[in-house]
Amino acid sequence: MLKLIAYRLLLAVPQLLAILVLSFLLTYLVPGSPAQALLRFGATPERIAEVEAELGLDSPIHERLAGYIGDAVQGDLGESYLSKRPVTDLIVERLPATLSMVIGGVTVSLILGMGMGILAGTRLDRPADRAVMAGTSIAVSVPQFLLGLFLLLLVSIELEWIPVVAYVRFTEDPLLWARGMLLPSLALGFAASGLIARQMRAGMAAAVHSDFGASLAAAGVSRRRFYFRYGIKNAMVPVLAATGLTLAILVGASFAVERVFSIPGVGHTLLHAVTSKDFPVVQGAVVVIAVLVIVLNILIDIGYALINPRIRVQ
Amino acid sequence: MTAMGDTVADPAAQVSEQEVTAARRTGTFGRIFRRPSAAVALAFVVLLVLVAVFAGPLAPFDPDDKNITSALEGPSGEHWLGTDDFGQDVLSRIMAGTRIALAVSLGSVAVAALIGVPYGLLLGYMGGWVDRIGSRVIDMSDALPGLLVALALIAAFGRGLWSVVFAIGIVFCMAIARLTRAVTLAERNKEYVDAARVSGLRPPEILFRQILPNLIAPLTAQASLMLGAAMIIETTLSFLDVGVEGVSWGGLISAGADELRRHPFLLVPPGAAVILSVLAFNFVANGISDVLAGTSLGSLRSKACPSAAQLEPSASHAKPLLADGSFRPDGVLEIRGVTVALPRPGQDPVPLVEHTWLSIERGEVLGLLGETGSGKSMLARAVLGLLPRPTYLSAGSVILDGAEISGLPERELRGVRGREISAVFQNPTTALSPVHTVCRQVSEPLRIHLGLSRSEARDRTVELLELVGVEDAASRIEDYPHQFSGGMAQRVAIAMALAAEPKLLIADEATSALDTTTQAQVLDLLLELRDSMNMAVLIITHDLGVVAETCDRVAVMYAGQIVEVNDVTSLFDTPRHPYTAALLQANPAADQASAGRRPTIAGRVPPPGEWPSGCHFANRCSFAQPACSEQPVLFVDGVRCLRSEELAQAGALR
Amino acid sequence: MTGTELLELRDVTVTFTSGGLLSRRNPITAIDSISFQLSRGETLGLVGESGSGKSTTARAILRLADVDDGSIRFDGAEVTEFGRRTPLWYRRSVQAVFQDPKSSLNPRHVAARAVTNTLRRHGVKSRSARNEAAAEAFERVGLLPAHLYRYPSELSGGQQQRVAIARALALDSDLVICDEAVSALDLSTQAQIINLLADLQHSADLSYLFIAHDLGVVRDICDRIVVMYLGTVVETASNKLLFEHPKHPYTRALLAATPASHPRARERRRTRRAAHRDSRMTSTPPRGGEGCPFRLRCSSVMDVCETVTPPLQTLRDGSEVACHIYSEPQTSVAVAGCSEEA
Repeated sequence: MLKLIAYRLLLAVPQLLAILVLSFLLTYLVPGSPAQALLRFGATPERIAEVEAELGLDSPIHERLAGYIGDAVQGDLGESYLSKRPVTDLIVERLPATLSMVIGGVTVSLILGMGMGILAGTRLDRPADRAVMAGTSIAVSVPQFLLGLFLLLLVSIELEWIPVVAYVRFTEDPLLWARGMLLPSLALGFAASGLIARQMRAGMAAAVHSDFGASLAAAGVSRRRFYFRYGIKNAMVPVLAATGLTLAILVGASFAVERVFSIPGVGHTLLHAVTSKDFPVVQGAVVVIAVLVIVLNILIDIGYALINPRIRVQ
Repeated sequence: MTAMGDTVADPAAQVSEQEVTAARRTGTFGRIFRRPSAAVALAFVVLLVLVAVFAGPLAPFDPDDKNITSALEGPSGEHWLGTDDFGQDVLSRIMAGTRIALAVSLGSVAVAALIGVPYGLLLGYMGGWVDRIGSRVIDMSDALPGLLVALALIAAFGRGLWSVVFAIGIVFCMAIARLTRAVTLAERNKEYVDAARVSGLRPPEILFRQILPNLIAPLTAQASLMLGAAMIIETTLSFLDVGVEGVSWGGLISAGADELRRHPFLLVPPGAAVILSVLAFNFVANGISDVLAGTSLGSLRSKACPSAAQLEPSASHAKPLLADGSFRPDGVLEIRGVTVALPRPGQDPVPLVEHTWLSIERGEVLGLLGETGSGKSMLARAVLGLLPRPTYLSAGSVILDGAEISGLPERELRGVRGREISAVFQNPTTALSPVHTVCRQVSEPLRIHLGLSRSEARDRTVELLELVGVEDAASRIEDYPHQFSGGMAQRVAIAMALAAEPKLLIADEATSALDTTTQAQVLDLLLELRDSMNMAVLIITHDLGVVAETCDRVAVMYAGQIVEVNDVTSLFDTPRHPYTAALLQANPAADQASAGRRPTIAGRVPPPGEWPSGCHFANRCSFAQPACSEQPVLFVDGVRCLRSEELAQAGALR
Repeated sequence: MTGTELLELRDVTVTFTSGGLLSRRNPITAIDSISFQLSRGETLGLVGESGSGKSTTARAILRLADVDDGSIRFDGAEVTEFGRRTPLWYRRSVQAVFQDPKSSLNPRHVAARAVTNTLRRHGVKSRSARNEAAAEAFERVGLLPAHLYRYPSELSGGQQQRVAIARALALDSDLVICDEAVSALDLSTQAQIINLLADLQHSADLSYLFIAHDLGVVRDICDRIVVMYLGTVVETASNKLLFEHPKHPYTRALLAATPASHPRARERRRTRRAAHRDSRMTSTPPRGGEGCPFRLRCSSVMDVCETVTPPLQTLRDGSEVACHIYSEPQTSVAVAGCSEEA
């Protein structure tokens, strides 16, 4: 098991390097020079050269790449063109809010998705199954931020169940934090729960129709006992594989959901940087978010190995 | 190794061939149209395209026409969907927004396909290190949220239409590459590709003429799903005000969000437009996938499928009309006139097994011999009360130790399965749950039927595994099924079946998937267990050799009927049915020198639904007479043949 | 031996490497320096259980698997030296029929295309000539003209296999490799296909390499038989010698395990099987090491078997055996006495 974790961590190294290289190359995709983009109008050739020197854009590419990776490994992602603050600080101070939403979203999607999946999977081809499956079709078709708006309108404005309040840090007041995270998590996790429910149902159906389903039934195991002792665990294998893929979707969607609920997440910083062409911040956000997703994926992979003995046992 | 057992899993596979052929002839897209949800969805997509193309002339107002005096109005005769904060007509703006929504999603999926399909084809076809490295790149992309990539590229290239199309296209190309690679790899390993290589076809020919046609349908389904996902990303980008500049659904939602307290209705029209469009793309994708998965027959089937109440076996006590001397009514198990049927829409149900009478005595090994499609496995499922839906027991009954078990409620049947009758199936590697230990599975019957505690069950499981010949059983019970070889896994499955010491064990092609030497060991084991436990064994097989090696008595099944029952030596010495005789002659034997050319049976076993009305074998029988096809042939004195006696006297069946 | 060999394999070794980018597992030796010959017009059987390497042998000859070592000579040419492009004449001469009739035809192509695609590649330019040849090939294998434009899913297993045979024969080939070609078919269909193969052999002067796990089929149609075990050849003998006087302990165990064709024989066979069985019946030694691969299951194992891999040696009756028992003349006589089989 330890070997597996070590192997998984080892695999993350080239992945991380590739992402660093890609994010570094981003500035080279820009038509013209970043300095030009930054200065917009009023850019004289002298002024551009000046800014390029100031930003360190005049040295050869391989030197700059080596420098970028070297600094990044030590946690230095450069500084913002605009605010001149270190990019790492700008992003890391907003990471807790994004992480809160994503973890909340994953939790919602797993609980809701597995619940619906089990409900449908234990009632295959019956009305409850069809209803749940129709529900998941709708769930995956609603953009997360749109659901967020509807929830905000319904729960906070019309019904006034949960007041619209500013984001509270977990360390300040866990209860208020949780209350503030409830709607964003729901908005974020609902669409993904549709995907998870489908995987769960498909996994349960496969188990029921499998050869081992037949041999356990022939040994006298009841449907109910089969579902809860065998069906769910077998279905969890594809479900966890799907969760890994869902994660990236959730992180991306959180940028829009945080705007709906006025949560100070990475998305705000990123969007501001995108519109103002503040490339170090865009690059930094790409790297930090990728690291976040990689780490969460490693955790999911470990869970996957715990469930699937084929991976765990030799 | 090969296995030829009847497949029980999908009764639809046995639906008349004409139906399948008819369905196939209409083509994939024709079949999608037959599904109402997919047809409506496809119609909606067509409507969207029309609106996008003709948005200009169709729209009641100029979408940019501002009129502050009529701002934030609800729906009215003039403004069907009301107005926004600048008094602009919402309907006209939604129509204008359709353009960006469709252009971006279609464009980006096209970009994704242009990059992803060649890349996936390359990896899947080349294999080896190209694939290993290339797939790693695909895996790496999992760490990058699509929206993040899109934002970064928009930062670099700006908010132009092409820039956004490219940015979203990049997000999806890896997913398309992954699917393309997976399908290519699967197709590449099929024997038709080997055959094409052996014929000397060049790689490009194989790739584009042989493999690509098989990719089109799954790729279309994936692309349709992606259209929906791309539309969500486009809307999100324009909601965040970094999408394509111009009137967009996301921008309309953003305007609605700003007026959430004052005029929430503003959210409804653009929200509904997005949700309905994405839903339409998803339903089209589902339609394609369902057709691909072969469940196109699902709709036909579900209509025909009787409700659960009707499914309860109707246990009609048919009078033992056809019972005769060969039916011994004192067996541990009696199958009395069992008929299994598959319901069909608008037609009579198709019988899969017809009027079967059979009994097994305690300690007897009875063989049930038949080719694919004979219904032998269906009969076993009927005995266990485990018929796959929607097939059902349409007539007859199953009697265990004098008590009828067919028609028992599920709760009582559970006490029979595993305790009185248990079964071992064909494929040992899938016969046990892959994510549970062997101990847990083998001890199930001990805990359910014998009420043993966890530790008692564990001790007994070790004994059982030793009994079936698993070496070093005590240290292996915490192992998982994949750690056992095929032969050992089948021994474990047998241990599970025997745990509660049933009176009857059904071995359904239980050794067909095993190697010759392993098969011999498992068959010897079954016979030893029969002796030590005085248990009846029903061996279902297509292999005459297995019958000759193990059985006391044999029933030969052909096209849903038992055609002959006899003790094993008599059956091999003096077959009484022409089919039995023909099978014996067609069987190549390793213990006899070749007799030259083997006589064959012309034609093939007719599938259910196409059985002749008289003798089922008549159209392939070399002794058939007009009388054979006139009416159903009764099972008399152990054989179902009009000319049996006459042929036996003439010695024609040797 | 003589000069009539169509195909000759000498010390052919094929290994597979599996594993990911970072973890490269040890290569698996699928076949380990195997040798046999096939004469023109002969049907050579290749038997063995799963993992014996018989399909890999077929794939090596068909150039679907890379040969690591050894030589394959076909009609005087060295097949292993062809390079990346296999010459068209070899593709024409050597054809194959595979096990699964369903997957051996492209589900998206009508049956006739299986034949016409091949013909086009081999220089039949005109479409009508190709269609005519396809119709002719279909007739030879007992299919009707109506079957030409059916999709594989509309054909039965036996019909699909006939199409595969038509494809193999459309080119006037010399050698057809039948890799478990009849084992997925029902008994009555199997006999039809075997008879068809026999008829075609006479009319088209074909040689067959017939790979099967069913010894009954092999006894019925093969002239000579090669027995493989864990990637090595353990015995090669004529049909009569192999079935009546099996020499290698594995061959004997295999024959004892093959089901009887009549129930009367079973008691005697069961006692014989009991003699072959021991407590380590399923153990296999690691591949590629020294020592006899069958030593852990062999009932007549000796000390030398643990350390020395027995070479394939030719006996006086012409059969070849890889077993130490036959290295010493005195034991050879004793074993020959007890190796009856009928």
